[in-house]
Amino acid sequence: MARVIVVTSGKGGVGKTTTSASISTGLALRGYKTAVIDFDVGLRNLDLIMGCERRVVYDLINVVNGEANLHQALIKDKHCENLFILPASQTRDKDALTEEGVEKVLKELEHMGFDYVICDSPAGIERGAVMALTFADEAIVVSNPEVSSVRDSDRILGILQSKSRRAMEGREPVKEHLLVTRYAPKRVEDGEMLSYKDVQELLRVPLIGVIPESDDVLQASNQGTPAIHLKDSDVATAYQDVIARFLEEERPLRFVNYEKPGLLKRIFGGK
Amino acid sequence: MADASLQGKLIEFKGASLAVMTAHVRETEAVRLADALHMMLGGMPDFFAGEPAVLDFAQLASTPDRVDWTAIISLLRRYQVQPIGVRNLPDYLHDGARRANLAILGPEGISAERPIAPPKPQAPPPAPAPVEAPPAPQPAAAASAAPATTMVVERPLRSGQQVYAKGGDLVLLAGMSPGSEVIADGCIHCYGPLRGRALAGARGDTSARIFSTNFGPELVSIAGVYRTFERGIPQTVAGRSTQVRLSGSDNLHTLEIMPLQND
Repeated sequence: MARVIVVTSGKGGVGKTTTSASISTGLALRGYKTAVIDFDVGLRNLDLIMGCERRVVYDLINVVNGEANLHQALIKDKHCENLFILPASQTRDKDALTEEGVEKVLKELEHMGFDYVICDSPAGIERGAVMALTFADEAIVVSNPEVSSVRDSDRILGILQSKSRRAMEGREPVKEHLLVTRYAPKRVEDGEMLSYKDVQELLRVPLIGVIPESDDVLQASNQGTPAIHLKDSDVATAYQDVIARFLEEERPLRFVNYEKPGLLKRIFGGK
Repeated sequence: MADASLQGKLIEFKGASLAVMTAHVRETEAVRLADALHMMLGGMPDFFAGEPAVLDFAQLASTPDRVDWTAIISLLRRYQVQPIGVRNLPDYLHDGARRANLAILGPEGISAERPIAPPKPQAPPPAPAPVEAPPAPQPAAAASAAPATTMVVERPLRSGQQVYAKGGDLVLLAGMSPGSEVIADGCIHCYGPLRGRALAGARGDTSARIFSTNFGPELVSIAGVYRTFERGIPQTVAGRSTQVRLSGSDNLHTLEIMPLQND
């Protein structure tokens, strides 16, 4: 059975695509055959983050419309053997997505022996976002530690509860995970940001991880390498922890406490 | 054959007048209806529990060239509303409705009189789309078999979701988020954070109350007497076990918000 995981948030710019890229890579590195689908039709981005933008020939909409088959459209990742990317169309809009079409693509991926399918949702609560979550078995809700992001995540959780197939058919509800991203422990300490505990208390969803705010993310995007590949980066370690927790291994939370820079660090600088 | 007299009467037709729910449809665009229904009943796809309904088009905002009946019917079925017929539909749309197996009813409907609309919740204008209370006396069989007038919501109610406990109490087992709205004809019991808008006694029951183990709503209302919290929740009740009730005489009701001594 292919497990369908939607990465969603409601609000834009919180780190959905970064998370989709790193989660799918992390699962593939663990040996699972994984596909990651960009649902942001018209504003495609995942291909850039994955560094495969020059290899896009066919896209999700071509497959939905039967203009290409899945084998033609799936792009093999340059780093991982087990990872395939299905890009979004840049020239169409989200109305081109149909429920039947998306279902067909997911069924076919299952036949091809995929273990996980990651759906990278667009921002908003319109068609694209709803299509991305319709067939989800699990949802990773990405939220930044600030009130408007939390409110939007709450809204998307409500939509998940009412519009997902699992909800419509009265099956076991979609399994929800909360991922807090762009977390800056110092700003939390200074009272400028919500703490991850506040976010979790507001959303009442089990926490799967906290990703620290870091310049590494921007650098990784520019290079077209998922952040989880970065060497000696807190972000990469945090995403690896998320993968471990997702696979039900115990990991303590890291990068959530602010450590005052030591004397040497203050004298010699450094990050 | 003792029952010879009944042999010929395996089926019998008799006139009957039934009270039936009327759905006033003001838009025929299925997508927009879907949005409106979702706003109204987002978290409660089984709210109507298979109730039959007559679709009334008297208040149609604009007259469409054609109507996608299949889409509308399947949309309503998704919310477990069973459309049985239409009325006040422009003549030129009758064929389509017949093809969709909907009965064409006269403007007077099935029964001679229009079902009496229940008093609308006299609340302050609820935010997105007011939940229009469906005419009361409908699911006679279902209701008398199981007089479950209390509605229980087990999962957290999310921003944008709306729940209406028709004719009874509402119990929230996992609290509600800011931006959500609950309405009950009876009391509201909230275990967990009460954060959105809570309107009890929506049909005017002044003895209805609101209880919460973690008080912090955007608005509370009982029988239309409401209060918002622009200056914050009073220190004595914020985040604590609290009840809200009406006090005072018949024409001078005031809302009382007081901590519950339960620790």
